[in-house]
Amino acid sequence: METPGPALQGTQGAAPVWRFLITPRWIGWHVLMVLAFWGMLWLGDWQLHRALSGNGLSWAYTFEWPLFAGFAVVFWAKTIRDEFRIRRGGGEVPEGAEAVSAAQSLPAGLGTAQVQQPADDADDAELAKYNAYLARLNDEVKGTHGKRYGFR
Amino acid sequence: MHAAVLRYRVMAYITGVVLIVLCFVGIPLQIAGHPAVANDVGVLHGILYIIYLVCAWMLSRKLALTNGQTVILLLAGTVPVMTFIVERWATRRFINPALAAAPSAEPVSR
Repeated sequence: METPGPALQGTQGAAPVWRFLITPRWIGWHVLMVLAFWGMLWLGDWQLHRALSGNGLSWAYTFEWPLFAGFAVVFWAKTIRDEFRIRRGGGEVPEGAEAVSAAQSLPAGLGTAQVQQPADDADDAELAKYNAYLARLNDEVKGTHGKRYGFR
Repeated sequence: MHAAVLRYRVMAYITGVVLIVLCFVGIPLQIAGHPAVANDVGVLHGILYIIYLVCAWMLSRKLALTNGQTVILLLAGTVPVMTFIVERWATRRFINPALAAAPSAEPVSR
């Protein structure tokens, strides 16, 4: 799930929505999921052999690994379905996304327009003060917990 | 949203505690020649982790996490102590902002 920004491009006919599935990042995820799926089935098979050769504890894992493999497939399918929904311009919320976007759609002729940026921002002392305040908060947050935000 | 967060937190802490017992009590005892604890707690963790996976997955969809963030959240249940670290990370970075943005959010705990 990358930025939902490109949703608009999809509706304007530049490229079909499904194209995101063959971007390098997503192909990497597909490969990882296929490897994880077969790896988990292989582990289940290994536990089955151990169980059959007398290790009673392995029976639990014999059933657990295929279950995890099934989870991987279901989770992956739902992830891709959600991604399609987001890129087709639906809401970010997976559940009831259609209902929300239908309720929010406006009749023809009505819409939102971007507010033009005022030219005299640079002279606005209050705005400058507020921006400095935001920058200070940002620095504080990064200074204290910056390391936690490392892995993305 | 609150229910999903609560389910995730409960399972994260239970799974985390059981995994710590498994790794820091069960495995040493197993090495010392008493495998019973590791066997029982191992199976228990296996069952709890299945529930944890479902709860963490449902939360990750509600928070609209990226694939990588979701994988971190799901795999945290397999690494000792990691559930606690990841729970704090998810709370600061995703859960608190999402609760703050929700229309009828209760006061956010820190």
